Amino acid sequence: MKNKIYIITILVGGLLFHSCSDMDVFPADQLTTGSISNSSDGILNVTNGNYALLKDGAEFNGIVDDNNCYLRQYFQMSDFAADDIVCGQKTEDPLYYSFTYTHSPNQSNSRFFWYISYKIINGANTVIQYLESKGNLSDEESNILGENYFLRAFVEFNLVKFYAFPYNQGDPNSNLGIILRTSTSEKAEKARATVQETYDQILQDAMQSTELMNKSRGKEFASKEAAWALLSRVYLYMEDYNKSIEYADKVIDSGRFTLETSESYPSYFANALSRSETIWAVAFTPSDNRGKFGSIASMIYSDGNSGWGEEFATYKYLNLINTYPEDIRTAYIDTVFKEPSIVQKKNGLEMFFITKFSFQGGDPNLSSPVMFRLSEMYLNKAEAYAHQNNESLALENVNIIRENRGLDGHLFDNVPNGKTILSVVLDERRAELAFEGHRYFDLTRNKIDIDRTYWGYHIKGLTIGTIDLATKPSGYDNLIIKFDDKEKLYYIPIDEMIANNLCVQN
Amino acid sequence: MKNILTILFVQFLIFQGLSQITGTVIDEQKLPMIGVSVSKAGTTLGTITDTNGAFSIAANKGDVLVFKFIGYKTIEFPLNGENKINIEMAISSVMMEDVVVMGYSKKTRTEISSAVTVLDERKLNDAPANDVATLLQGKISGVQVVNSSGEPGSGAEIRIRGVSTIKPGNAEPLYVVDGIIGGSFDPSDVESITVLKDAGATGMYGARANKGVIVVTTKKAKSNKPKFEFKTSYGYNTPDHGNVKMMNSAEFFNDFSAELYRDYETHQIDKIKFYKDYPQDLLQKDYSWVGEIFKPVPIQKYYLSTSGRTKKFGYYISGTYYDEKGTYRSTGFKKINLRVNTDLQLNSRVSLKNNINISGSKGSSYDYLDMYYSYLGVPWDNPYNEDGTPKYVDAKNKKWWSRDHINPIHSIDNSDYNYKGVGIDYDMVFNLKILEWLSFSSSNRLSFNTDKGHRFVSPIAAGTYHDKGFVSENQNIWYGAISTNLLRFDKSFGNHSFDGLLGTEVDQGYTEDLALEGKGLPEGFSVPTVASSEFKISGSHDKELFRSFISQVNYNFDHKYFLTASYRVDVTSNFPSGNRTAHFPSISASWMLNKMSFMSNISSINLLKLRSSFGITGDPDIGASRFLGLYSLNTQYNSHPSATPYQLANPDLTWEKTYQYNIGFDLGLFKDRVNLTLDLYDNVTKDLIVLVSQPLSQGFEYRWENSGAVTNKGIELALSTLNIKTKNFSWSTDFNFAKNKNKLSGIAKPFYTTISGISQIYRNGNEIYTFVLPKWLGVDKETGGPLWEKIEKDGEGNIISRSPTTNYSEAEPQEVGKALPDFTGGFSSTLQYKNFTLFANLAFQYGNDIYNFTRVFMDNDGHEPYYNNMKPKSSWSRWEKPGDNATHPSMQQNALSKEPSSRYLEDGSFVKLRTVSLSYSLPQRWIKSINIQNLSVGLGATNLYTYTQFWGQDPEVTLKQQAWSMPGVSDFKYPNNRQFLFNVNIKF
Repeated sequence: MKNKIYIITILVGGLLFHSCSDMDVFPADQLTTGSISNSSDGILNVTNGNYALLKDGAEFNGIVDDNNCYLRQYFQMSDFAADDIVCGQKTEDPLYYSFTYTHSPNQSNSRFFWYISYKIINGANTVIQYLESKGNLSDEESNILGENYFLRAFVEFNLVKFYAFPYNQGDPNSNLGIILRTSTSEKAEKARATVQETYDQILQDAMQSTELMNKSRGKEFASKEAAWALLSRVYLYMEDYNKSIEYADKVIDSGRFTLETSESYPSYFANALSRSETIWAVAFTPSDNRGKFGSIASMIYSDGNSGWGEEFATYKYLNLINTYPEDIRTAYIDTVFKEPSIVQKKNGLEMFFITKFSFQGGDPNLSSPVMFRLSEMYLNKAEAYAHQNNESLALENVNIIRENRGLDGHLFDNVPNGKTILSVVLDERRAELAFEGHRYFDLTRNKIDIDRTYWGYHIKGLTIGTIDLATKPSGYDNLIIKFDDKEKLYYIPIDEMIANNLCVQN
Repeated sequence: MKNILTILFVQFLIFQGLSQITGTVIDEQKLPMIGVSVSKAGTTLGTITDTNGAFSIAANKGDVLVFKFIGYKTIEFPLNGENKINIEMAISSVMMEDVVVMGYSKKTRTEISSAVTVLDERKLNDAPANDVATLLQGKISGVQVVNSSGEPGSGAEIRIRGVSTIKPGNAEPLYVVDGIIGGSFDPSDVESITVLKDAGATGMYGARANKGVIVVTTKKAKSNKPKFEFKTSYGYNTPDHGNVKMMNSAEFFNDFSAELYRDYETHQIDKIKFYKDYPQDLLQKDYSWVGEIFKPVPIQKYYLSTSGRTKKFGYYISGTYYDEKGTYRSTGFKKINLRVNTDLQLNSRVSLKNNINISGSKGSSYDYLDMYYSYLGVPWDNPYNEDGTPKYVDAKNKKWWSRDHINPIHSIDNSDYNYKGVGIDYDMVFNLKILEWLSFSSSNRLSFNTDKGHRFVSPIAAGTYHDKGFVSENQNIWYGAISTNLLRFDKSFGNHSFDGLLGTEVDQGYTEDLALEGKGLPEGFSVPTVASSEFKISGSHDKELFRSFISQVNYNFDHKYFLTASYRVDVTSNFPSGNRTAHFPSISASWMLNKMSFMSNISSINLLKLRSSFGITGDPDIGASRFLGLYSLNTQYNSHPSATPYQLANPDLTWEKTYQYNIGFDLGLFKDRVNLTLDLYDNVTKDLIVLVSQPLSQGFEYRWENSGAVTNKGIELALSTLNIKTKNFSWSTDFNFAKNKNKLSGIAKPFYTTISGISQIYRNGNEIYTFVLPKWLGVDKETGGPLWEKIEKDGEGNIISRSPTTNYSEAEPQEVGKALPDFTGGFSSTLQYKNFTLFANLAFQYGNDIYNFTRVFMDNDGHEPYYNNMKPKSSWSRWEKPGDNATHPSMQQNALSKEPSSRYLEDGSFVKLRTVSLSYSLPQRWIKSINIQNLSVGLGATNLYTYTQFWGQDPEVTLKQQAWSMPGVSDFKYPNNRQFLFNVNIKF
């Protein structure tokens, strides 16, 4: 008996003392820096991840806040600061600061947008560095490389639009742009490039991508045509109108896209990935449905339960598209009626919901937001020709849109009295591209003040008892935002300022 | 190497003792005592008693035989020529001789040179609980306990000697159950709890001891007679909303809503407009949402145990059933715990302990937003239809006042957030006495835990899942094994006594998670199978490995001077290969002054011990792979696998280490009528693991780095006194107090954490958790608008002036408060008169600030007109007209008044009457006839009263730093409970 116990002791002791197994532990759901290039699809995974970041809610500040999503912030930071959408409810969500222009370096939507933009750039740089050093690329690899150049350019361009003065205001050689990151091994601290340098980088990346992408992976991915569309947009912002027209024409002439018609347009946005007008849309599958707390739709639409439904289309926008009852673009406004012909009010404001980001697969919160579509190419051309005082070509392009939006009976033969060719073009852009992240930049790019003389909670300190819809608000200090007001720029996020001494605040 | 050693010791076993002197050792109950050490004073010769308590040893007349057994008084027996002697050993009764379980070892009180506090069962279990932490509140100096939630089944947070880490995640102390790291237990099974506070004691746990160690010892058989014990507590919980009392209909109408219509020019309420929007017949309606959703509910706990001992076998078997309904609608928690502790003496050298603990629990939780809406519902909305069912409302419902058109009662009744858990721990401890002074022990534990959560929202519930429904399930299993193998020695040479241990430990834990969710449920069904759309799955595997070397030597000279030295080496998988190994030495010493001759005349002092210790401990709790550069594969793009940049690499990442100094004394006066313990400590945690902020333009928020140090310096005092002791009456009190000062240093660059716009700064010279916010200067007397403080600085950053500003963005954030208290403590009093015992315990803390985030909603300035508000503090007032000296701005000036500022920062100090209990033991003559040893009945109440200036739910606010939670920020939480109980305790 005793001996047995001693033997067991020795065995147990010996086993335990020596069981020094391997102490290397690798994560089960993550690639390491090394394994990206070792695995067959590591590079593809990272590229797809760059697209995923446009739609995902990533962890930020230790939490995954449903509010945070690149595209949600992109649309809200631009359109809520313009005059197509009115604020119907004060809120703790930082989207409120875009309505009120009380921006601060602390606001989490802007901080998240900046952060994810650079995360995409980091992912793109990972792929670019690896494939550029590899050389001898297959067609697939070349396409992947091109997609990453494109994504870098796209993200850089969206950044410079929010955080810097427009290219055509002040001196782009002295105005500060964004921090340009073109390598993953750079020092952590880096100064902002000028606006000119930023645009140079965007153009260079976009040009490079057009050369590398020769076969499209589908409308949910970047393509040569998407890169041309980006170039057309960028050159428009740079007032290089010939180039803008040139690249718009490349897209149009590619023959890969056709305009939606007045019949198909009402169902277009719910089905954008499969429609021929789409150049590039970010794919949301049902499992990407961000629901009430995080979808793009939930602030501007609710079926009663699906969203917050706290923001509405403005009278100014409604008046524009209601000029002619045939205008099919009214299909994306859903008016809430209290009784027949009496519009329901919320917090004293009438409720006009917006449905451009709803009803993919019938879901009120789901859509695959369109980044580039053919209509914009015609309207880019229209604006470019308007600036070149080429009225007939400008109107021709405007009319191409109107023909397909139920307004064949209301085409322009010439500029109506009291209007300029530019205002005709901008009205058409507004009617067509509303809520898609253009209006705010269309105004500031064309040096037009943002006029928000209508009731809404963008008016600071407004209480419900003060609203009188029969009159226009007056005497409030932020009804009109000057196009060159420095206040309208978003601040460089506090996180960047604290950790990067070389970065200068707006 | 170790193998050879083991073999050598087996060789030693072949030894002989000449049996000149024989005898037996028995205890007070005349039972043979096994394993008593018998030795010849001044020599290395010795033996131990066998299973019959018998021994034989070679000795001569004149020699002194020493009989030692832990927990018993040591007997020195001078031989006068006897050949056969019988020894009866007595349990050591002097308190200071109590055995203190230190984790790897046990010591008598005199032998301890470090700062430890012991709580026995009687002082611990003063209220029914499923979590032991909550029972420690106010009872141990230097131990801060925060009951941050009243949710059934939730545990308290514990911080020992301040906070020594600033990384997010676990800041709780290490638990050691029955000598083995980790483990589980029910509070009813606890015999004693030892809190190890300084490195002299915690150094043995090296890498994991930074946050202190709590050593739990479960019960075992004490007497040979089979004993049964039955305890029950039955009573009810009521919600303790603190100072939050929501407005009723009239208050909300007149004091809040009307203010929205105060005319900006005339400063009068525009009643015509007001009554148009708010008809006066609203006053006919008055529904209390809080009253409907929170109700008094029953709580019950039953405990039954049996224990007994034969010569070779001891057993303790217990079962506990705990059932707590939640005061919040549809919440609750139930737990069953079974424990079997056995010890088996195989022969005089070999013993085996087997402990098994099995627990199963299930409960129902709640949704944060439902809790939020439960407080904020407007009193004009009737939660029920005419038939008494909860009313369905959505945004299309025009006759509903509360914001967002949610009826939380309808949501709660059409959803289910339940969870279940099972945990099994099996301990096997094998002891082998190799020589009289040398033994080997192998302590092993296998653990298995699994939890399952189920979240379900019916398609008929209003809200985001309406018409679809939602179900998610997640399952987590954790299993692990730990084995500690030690050689122990215990040897005396004259006045020199040595003991100690040497060995290794292997610990590994594995976690596997699985979660899935789906939507599109048919009405009436809630299992995942029936979901038809929007499926998501996720799951991950993780593991953590530790290897350790452990050693300790204790030396004492003549029971007057004591010295303990320990040395531990830990290797963990959490760090890069070059930094995996860390070394943790510690040393402590003490001096029994009262045993010195120069003090022998002072009869009033029965104990005076000076203690001092130094040691290093560590903290590796950052999880696996924090040093690698990583791309996470946890997403997809259009159903393609996708990887996103997740983590920056840091190949230099290493342990947090704390350098701890402690000095203190224990004083016993008047035969232990008065016991005073005082400790001073200075703990510096270096190489803090910090998420160092990166420029976001790198694509990363943080990198895990080692940077800076945090110092916790403090003083702790504990005073126990037996104030009155007569035949029928006694009164004793326990008082404890601890002051801690926390300070950061060596941080390269200050950094911030921010949640909901509320920021805390980490910078050198500051406490951690320091709030940095724009400073609120109140309300402008003339305009009624909010004012903040603007600071003007010169080129060098010196402050030139401070002035009020109406522009929030001009108000630079300043350091305005802190979440950690200056001091904490508690007081207990026990009054005994004949068979009646009255016990009371209170806990206090002072000097911390709380950011009352709930006031943004419940005390709003009209920016949320459709949320109910709480009744204001009597000192608050709202600005109405020029000249008013108000605390709250005009509602017409509310644009930024709710923005984060020191406005919502409140004094978090409190004194809380934790427990009051009265019990009565039935006289022996009544119960003896029915064979009952002891029967007591009693009444108890917990959390009866809190004195605080804090105007929120409860001043016990979380100190957790994790997702959605910032230390010292009070958000909508499950309210704490006030309990009223009836207790019965029977021993037979």
